[in-house]
Amino acid sequence: MLDARPRILSVGTANPPERYRQTEVLDRFKVDDPRIRSLFTSSHIQTRHLYMPPTGADGAPSETQGELLAKHLRGAMEIGPQAVDRCLGPAGVDVRAVDHLVCISTTGFLAPGLTAHLMKKMGFREDCSRADIVGMGCNAGLNGLNLSAAWAMANPGRYSLMVCIEICSAAYVFDGSMRTAIVNSLFGDGSAAVLLRASERDERAFAPKILGFNSHLIAPAIAAMRYDWDEEAGKFSFFLDRDIPYVVGANAEKPVKRLLDAHGLRRRHISHWLVHSGGKKVVDAIKYNVGLSDWDVRHTHSVLRDFGNLSSGSFLFSFQRLLDEGRVKRGDYGVMMTMGPGSTIETALIRW
Amino acid sequence: MYETIAFEEQGEVATLRLVRERINVKQLRELERVCDYLEDHATAKLLVLRGHSLGIDFADFDPREALDIHGFNKWEKLVARLERLSQATIALADGDCVGGGFQLMLACDLRWAVPGARFWFPEVHLGFLPGMATWRLARYVGLGHARRMVLTCEKIDGAAAVRYGLLDGTDPNLDHALATARAAFGPTHAVAITLARRLLIESSETGYEDALGNFLAAQHRAISQTAFLETLKKERGAT
Repeated sequence: MLDARPRILSVGTANPPERYRQTEVLDRFKVDDPRIRSLFTSSHIQTRHLYMPPTGADGAPSETQGELLAKHLRGAMEIGPQAVDRCLGPAGVDVRAVDHLVCISTTGFLAPGLTAHLMKKMGFREDCSRADIVGMGCNAGLNGLNLSAAWAMANPGRYSLMVCIEICSAAYVFDGSMRTAIVNSLFGDGSAAVLLRASERDERAFAPKILGFNSHLIAPAIAAMRYDWDEEAGKFSFFLDRDIPYVVGANAEKPVKRLLDAHGLRRRHISHWLVHSGGKKVVDAIKYNVGLSDWDVRHTHSVLRDFGNLSSGSFLFSFQRLLDEGRVKRGDYGVMMTMGPGSTIETALIRW
Repeated sequence: MYETIAFEEQGEVATLRLVRERINVKQLRELERVCDYLEDHATAKLLVLRGHSLGIDFADFDPREALDIHGFNKWEKLVARLERLSQATIALADGDCVGGGFQLMLACDLRWAVPGARFWFPEVHLGFLPGMATWRLARYVGLGHARRMVLTCEKIDGAAAVRYGLLDGTDPNLDHALATARAAFGPTHAVAITLARRLLIESSETGYEDALGNFLAAQHRAISQTAFLETLKKERGAT
């Protein structure tokens, strides 16, 4: 019988051209509060790609919410198409062959959504079906992958493309508080695209099959991660509770266990872990609660170090690095894991 | 069920005996099966590793073919699994522990031996390497002693092993030693043991800031467990 489960045929990533060290960001905006400086420099992030805002007379960045939204779309239409090209190019698939498009973004709201803008800009077929997932946060890449995989499974032989586009530099408030400083020290801009298809023709390709998903909503922690309106600043503002690493850590085993149990697997059978680079503390919490080694989260750490938290597409940057490393063998299992607002943990099981 | 080892589980205690004196592929596979069982199904809170071992069995390998490096990797994975089991582990050596046998002992939490037992890594004299003993031994005894022991294949006796901290003690009666070690362990809380052991193993390669982050993540897990909540209830009730 034909195994209808979709495979991840290709992945592509892109970032804005300009890259900044943490100290460069601080110096650019004349931040001299030692607590904020130490937050930036001790966060295990070395560099981030950002669409850097212009500075006002006092050295602080000055952008209105309107300007931020315009920057989101402008940035999205620069790095989104690059990620799509880098995904489709190596797979030898033309944009006109794509039948279903899912776009993920939390860093800007707009209608029509990014799918429509991407289709217009890149010349997708007019009958390509589409869905935008907006406002689901750092975990959303796996929510989108679930949708994209379900579509691919229901439509064997047809291409399903998912694109995460996050312009985090279009989603900040700069007010000298620790609340905003934490956010401003953490997030970076990036886009990642993955191409899926369920087809007998891909059976011989070295592409992992998506075997299943498992979700976990920590309802009591609904307010722990938020992106809501800051009346004073006149902008949307991220809020990250300091207990997030512990809340996520205490629940991390549950979806992983359900995911593996459903396939009769144990943690030792999983060769590759692709964990969202949320921040040093949350990755530590996952490590000690799921029982992962530093080796297991090596790409999670290196993506955090080089890019900061890229939100929804982050785990796909780790996936790209895993593929580039060339260690994956046929038959290997991998677990993808993302965490975000809800509070939520999303997981997926893949096998090469 | 097993040929090269014997394994039994009685209530809270699982006992693993090395039957075969030299390590071959079959013994490696059987040890892996025991680890599978201990990780997945065991109710035991304590694993006792008993016996002795003269190290790798060359009779198992064809001298006309190069040894497979992946076999060595499998062995190291096994030792690391043994080292990180959720059970507390006690090694009881009734004779010499050589090479891989010495490594198995180093992977255990508490280690006792009969006074006559000796311990050494013969590999460098044979032209190869004593596995990740280079890593493990140096952490136990310091680089100076480890260098001498590995490079000169020095045989150390029980008294020296106690002095270096490789053994917790010697006792001609290993059942008596087991009773001493069990009493020393007291209650074995799997999560606390696993986490504390992991932090200790990782301590020498982690800087203070990273270690602090690791500790906080691990401590949060520990204090969320029923074992600790029960302790808290009991301690508060007592005051």
